[in-house]
Amino acid sequence: MAATQHLLDVDGLSWPELQRRLAVAEQMRAIRRSPAGRVSDLRDQSVAMLFYEASTRTRLSFVEAAHALGAHLIDFDVSSSSVGKGESLADTVRTLGALGATAIVVRHDRAGAPWLAAQAFGGHVLNAGDGWHAHPTQALLDLAVLVRHIAASDGSLTGRRIAIVGDLLHSRVVRSNLHTLTAAGADVRLAGPAPLIAGFHDYVASRTMTRGSIRIVATADEALEGADAAMALRIQRERLDGASLGSTETYRMKWGMTEERLARVAAPSCRVLHPGPMNEGVEIDPDVAQGPRSLVLEQVAEGVPTRMAALWIAARGLDAPPPVVPV
Amino acid sequence: MTKAAHRFVDHWLVDPVAKRAGVATLDVEGSQITAVTWRDGEAAAGATWEAGANPGAGDPVRMILPALIDLHAHARQPGASGSEDVESFARAAAHGGYGSACLMPNTEPAADSVEILDAMVRPHSGAALSMRLLPIAAATVGRRGEQVAPLAALVAAGAVACSDDGAPIADPRLFAEVLAAAATAGIPLIEHSEDPAQSADGEAADGAVALRLGLRPWLARAEHEAVARNITILREVAARIPRARLHLTHLSTAASLQHVRAAQASGLQVTCDVTPHHLALSDAWLMGEQRWSWLPGDDAISPSAAAFNTNLRVCPPLRAAVDGAACRAALRDGTACAIATDHAPHSREHKEVEFGRAANGIAGIETSLSVALAAQAAGELSLATLVAALTTGPAALLEGKMPAPTLSAGAPASLVVVDRLATWVPARANLLGRSINTPLLGVALPGVVRLTLHAGATAYSG
Repeated sequence: MAATQHLLDVDGLSWPELQRRLAVAEQMRAIRRSPAGRVSDLRDQSVAMLFYEASTRTRLSFVEAAHALGAHLIDFDVSSSSVGKGESLADTVRTLGALGATAIVVRHDRAGAPWLAAQAFGGHVLNAGDGWHAHPTQALLDLAVLVRHIAASDGSLTGRRIAIVGDLLHSRVVRSNLHTLTAAGADVRLAGPAPLIAGFHDYVASRTMTRGSIRIVATADEALEGADAAMALRIQRERLDGASLGSTETYRMKWGMTEERLARVAAPSCRVLHPGPMNEGVEIDPDVAQGPRSLVLEQVAEGVPTRMAALWIAARGLDAPPPVVPV
Repeated sequence: MTKAAHRFVDHWLVDPVAKRAGVATLDVEGSQITAVTWRDGEAAAGATWEAGANPGAGDPVRMILPALIDLHAHARQPGASGSEDVESFARAAAHGGYGSACLMPNTEPAADSVEILDAMVRPHSGAALSMRLLPIAAATVGRRGEQVAPLAALVAAGAVACSDDGAPIADPRLFAEVLAAAATAGIPLIEHSEDPAQSADGEAADGAVALRLGLRPWLARAEHEAVARNITILREVAARIPRARLHLTHLSTAASLQHVRAAQASGLQVTCDVTPHHLALSDAWLMGEQRWSWLPGDDAISPSAAAFNTNLRVCPPLRAAVDGAACRAALRDGTACAIATDHAPHSREHKEVEFGRAANGIAGIETSLSVALAAQAAGELSLATLVAALTTGPAALLEGKMPAPTLSAGAPASLVVVDRLATWVPARANLLGRSINTPLLGVALPGVVRLTLHAGATAYSG
């Protein structure tokens, strides 16, 4: 494994590599829990945050992760930079490289933007979400949370049923989760309004999977039947009108993660995830989001060690022993 | 430009006008071919054109074809000479084996006047070009799709066709008017068939690759529904004006080509071309998979570091392998009469951006012959078919606007010498166009152009 590498995508990562990433993240969690709460092993690294799209969780947890590893942070503010004057992403990335950045964390509203950054930059690029395409660290933290709560005896998700319900079409979270969850052996069921699931049939048919499975079903009930975990996806209110899906109330009735639906069809211990930000009362009910099934806050907390691991592996390689927990 | 005498001894000659191929010695003096001596006699060379044009294992590796003719290119002049101008274009074209090219009128401003038409083909340096440039006039004023351009005057000034390439004519009544006016002026309408309402915001062909890469879908029906509509209008116009001609450029879907095939079978004067990239590449290249579309693929591929290459962003978009197969089938059965490059140079500024924001277009005139030869080597196209699609097919649409692309004594010495077995790898160092926005950078291609002559003058020598 090369000493430095990008984290552009989780598409194609094997289960052993994912396990290794989970193990590194586990060590990072221990570092966070230690009295010092941080190390300085990445003090030679200079991490630039390049967020072209709004973000709370991802940005804050990458910043926190860089601090916790002792990396220098270049907190680039896209809105007050020359980007407003039309400076291109590639030129911005080259400038950051010239200023000494060793890693760039990119969030962008267009699919593929991190690939462009990777071409223009000599260091490593971490994808913090690109358009509808990919959100690698979200999928990795979701996997960490799911493995903690519903893993099979071998530590994988083999035989576990996971439902993902909602707006698949516009979701980078679902695209990345499909790779990681199936690589971990899970049987994934997808459901959502027809206009927001268009094309996924061909996509699923075009995939050859060595582990796990993906099935597209017609209703939320079918997706949730016997589910060990369920993930609700954010529905943007403006898309409800655009896709003629009716009111938020209609959406909730058909696709919402409600306690009534979960109690009726899911496994009794079914846990619920949401990548945030949530529309409570639309795709997920408040009592579910805040109730005992919810793993939503754990997902947020998992962001920091997952992103520490991502920064660490990008800088040092997958096989490098992670930093020692300070005493 | 020098006009040396040349003697090409024992080359593999392909003459698509005489429908003759074989080993021959060809002599050039001044601007003309002075003699062609077929080794096994004229009759043997013409015996089996379609299959016999393919050279055998023991045949010469150096091949001579008539200089190629492109129906669809952008030389970016006037308006964007930072990306290309006619001089850099002519160098690139000669390197690609081309001796003639039709230039599209989506210049800035659009070529809807005699003045702009002239500016499209006039070299800034004033030096003569070593190729024939054939301007295509805008079909409507400003390519705005509101009012027919002054076609008679534009034809008198040299326009060989009219087109609003890149700006499909939406209004059906105006489309009919343009067809009628073009027929009166004696030129075809070349239409870019697309319904922008259905392709708006599209980033990649609707399908598994677009979905996987999170790219906004570009619906196939945006093309084939426009093709069907345009054929319907042609049918109505042709009933009144039998010489109305419609040529549909860069068709890219199996359904579009099927519409054309059916219309031709019904006797309608509709023709079409396909591009080298649509016949040879597929949307799998967006994943970073550099594999000719006729080769079997592995569905389990994941995007590589080479994914999202904006040099693959093109209109119409690269589509599924079955659509590429349909393009090749259309060339084989004659539905498509030409391979047209849609050479569309763009400077780095317009390509080194997010995939969805990149300018559409591939600079393809230097690699077109090699791509066609790759298809030929794979058995997808016969040499006879590909040479016809690069010479006589386009020439037929241009109806006498140029000498016949033949290799016979007395014909102009406009030809290309190709080493069919040698390979090359396109790179900044060996491409002659100003912009090198091609997805084939770094890809080994068969067929190296050694010499291009234009009326006896050396246009390219390598």
